[in-house]
Amino acid sequence: MGSKTRKIFIVLIVLIMCFSMTGCFDKREVDDLVNPIAIGLDKGRNRSIRMTLQIAIPTKVAGGGEGGGGGGGKESVSYTTVEAPSIYSGLNMINTYVSKQLNMSQIKVLVFSEELAREGIEKYVNSLMRGREFRPNSYLLVARGSGNAAERYLRAVEPELESNPAKYYEMVLSAYSYTGFSSNTTLVNFYKNMVSESSQPLAVLADISKFENSDDINMDNSTYREKGRDFPLEGDFKAGDMPKVGTIKSEIMGLAVFNGAKMVGEFDGEETQLQLMLEGDFGYSYVTIPDPIAEDYVVLLSIRQNRKPKRTVEMIDEKPNIKVKIYLEADILSIQSGINYESIDKVKILEDSAEEFIEKDLAKMLEKTAKEFKSDTPGFGKEMKGKFLTWDEWINFNWIEKYPESKFEVDVDLKIRRPGLMLRTYPATGIEVGEE
Amino acid sequence: MEGKVIFGKREAISILLVLICNQLILGFPSIMSNSVGSAGWIMTIYVSIITLCLFLIMAKLYSAFEGKDLLDIGEFVGGNIIRIIVGLLVVIDTVFLISIKLREYTEHIKIISFTQSPVSFITLFFTLGMIISVYYGIEPLVRSASIVVPVVAVGIIIVVAGSVKNFEFSNIMPILGTGPYDIFVGGLPRISIYSGLLPLFFIPPFMGGYKDIKEIGILAIIISSVVLTLGILAYLLVFPYPTSANSVLPFFELSRVLEYGRFFQRIESVFLLTWSLAGMIYLSSGLYFIVYVFSKTFRLKYYRPLIIPFTLIIFASSLIPKSLIEIMYIDNKIIRYYSWIITFGMTLILLVIARLVKRKKRGMAKNGK
Repeated sequence: MGSKTRKIFIVLIVLIMCFSMTGCFDKREVDDLVNPIAIGLDKGRNRSIRMTLQIAIPTKVAGGGEGGGGGGGKESVSYTTVEAPSIYSGLNMINTYVSKQLNMSQIKVLVFSEELAREGIEKYVNSLMRGREFRPNSYLLVARGSGNAAERYLRAVEPELESNPAKYYEMVLSAYSYTGFSSNTTLVNFYKNMVSESSQPLAVLADISKFENSDDINMDNSTYREKGRDFPLEGDFKAGDMPKVGTIKSEIMGLAVFNGAKMVGEFDGEETQLQLMLEGDFGYSYVTIPDPIAEDYVVLLSIRQNRKPKRTVEMIDEKPNIKVKIYLEADILSIQSGINYESIDKVKILEDSAEEFIEKDLAKMLEKTAKEFKSDTPGFGKEMKGKFLTWDEWINFNWIEKYPESKFEVDVDLKIRRPGLMLRTYPATGIEVGEE
Repeated sequence: MEGKVIFGKREAISILLVLICNQLILGFPSIMSNSVGSAGWIMTIYVSIITLCLFLIMAKLYSAFEGKDLLDIGEFVGGNIIRIIVGLLVVIDTVFLISIKLREYTEHIKIISFTQSPVSFITLFFTLGMIISVYYGIEPLVRSASIVVPVVAVGIIIVVAGSVKNFEFSNIMPILGTGPYDIFVGGLPRISIYSGLLPLFFIPPFMGGYKDIKEIGILAIIISSVVLTLGILAYLLVFPYPTSANSVLPFFELSRVLEYGRFFQRIESVFLLTWSLAGMIYLSSGLYFIVYVFSKTFRLKYYRPLIIPFTLIIFASSLIPKSLIEIMYIDNKIIRYYSWIITFGMTLILLVIARLVKRKKRGMAKNGK
């Protein structure tokens, strides 16, 4: 073959390859695709599921159309609900009346209704993991309440600060790193824990605000009473129960606790923070603790976890003995009583009180996981697993059945590092005890 | 075939790395996890040590045949017949291997990107690439390998380094996985993962002396073992057993869970690039190896006329298995269990016999004196 002929041959081959690979069987114009960003699954009739898709409208999300700047809120999304035997058959049905082909690769959130979650979601999680288009990093949520809770929740999502609803979900669900009120419950994490012999899965709790105006606000559904408190703290709520009103109706707070693939209970916001501390995933958050000296007042700390917790599990009399030491650091944000806890001789009082407060709540929360939920959500089985040499020994040990018998010893080491921008609180003149 | 030195150690090591380590981006991590649970990485280290020992024995035996390849050694042992038997065994083994791998790459690309395209259509593009690269000979192929290897290495490093935040050391517990018997006895046939070393015994005519071959082999085994062990370790640290034994494309799955904040997501596109580069070099090297061994076995002057017929054989054979499940079964239960027979078994037997024949001939020559 001559040099000229060879060159022509190569150019021809390259052109044929380029054109045929891009233009044949898998040709999909971006303009011909539509991207749902959230999928909600409720229990349907006759063994079917009711599937709701929240679909991003590209022109609105991108800031197109008149006025520019994006739609924001409901304007940038469209909804559709269908009853189908399975997720994929539902997608097939939706494709018959939506003008563009559904592309599930932009799905950010998977919402299961509480009813469905309590029945078990194994078959849905497995099919989502198997599907190529679904992202393993999509967040898994459980919408509280009866009936079509997932549909209700999705239709109530109105991201006012974001023109892009996908960004809204990303931002709001990653906020746990600075609130501690939700967790990284991605699909892949859920699946890993669902099939694990050493830990159990969790999903973020979601719901719609119950209060229409500020006069309706009440604390009836707060968890503070069952914790033996006189007044609710910021973490004593679950999604939907938060004492708030506003244009944003959707709420995310707390976790749905699963045993295998079935939902067995709920954590409120505070328990979620403790769960994160136990896992070592607690970023930082503002935490209110009762004032150690002045009973009617509270102290506000900005607490962060800079070290992973030390966790040990030992079998004593055939029962797991679990020891946890949690290391926290805190900055003082507010001392309502005005007592000078910033001083070197009083800071220890505040530290001890905060440690005791967190230890007490941790012990309660752990007892709840063992006795009430029988679900090892903190994953202490991972520590136990390390004591076995082979997989068969570990499986025969049957940790999941032993966990409810666990005894817990909790130790919190909290160090107050900074007093904020004030070295001490001076009381306002004219009253005896200073107040903010 | 030219017998002159046409490439150096770096190129030789690069091509061997592609031939051995390509399985990391195919099903290797989940296959190892499927065999021994959370101890897949231990088995990889164990198998690597066994392979290194075997190779050192082979290199010692080979030292008496400097500059000769396995076909020359076969001829030395038993004339044309043994040479042809050795050549045909190698060709049949490699055709089988490359056909399966071609289909595996095709099926994987079908899962990842070209979901609607027929398998034969995708395979056609791989085979066209193979034909073109083999047509230009070994030199551009090995030089491309030496360029591609660092790119693939960077891709793998990005995936592994990005996964560090998802590492959980409890995932590799219980430390002995499904048990020491499965690792140390059941794992022995798994030296087949180093069957990509076979071409090393065919490159002496292109290389320097015996020491070069020994050095290249040792380096290739050590580097591959590090890459394979770190790869499977990273995978197991992210996906605990039994989840880890479940994935069709483990390394792709690993890259899918990577996120560097909100800005860098969907890192698997980096993986796809490195994956296809490594795959193309692997398949082309395999085809070149087949036509080279065949032409040398039958003392054919030109190898190029063999490219199309062998490509057609590989193409057609790759379409025989009915499904990806069948392909994975063949890969897991046949290739990764028995391909050591040709690479290590046949080579060792041949070298031992050759050594004995040589000693006998030397003895006879002495007596004759």
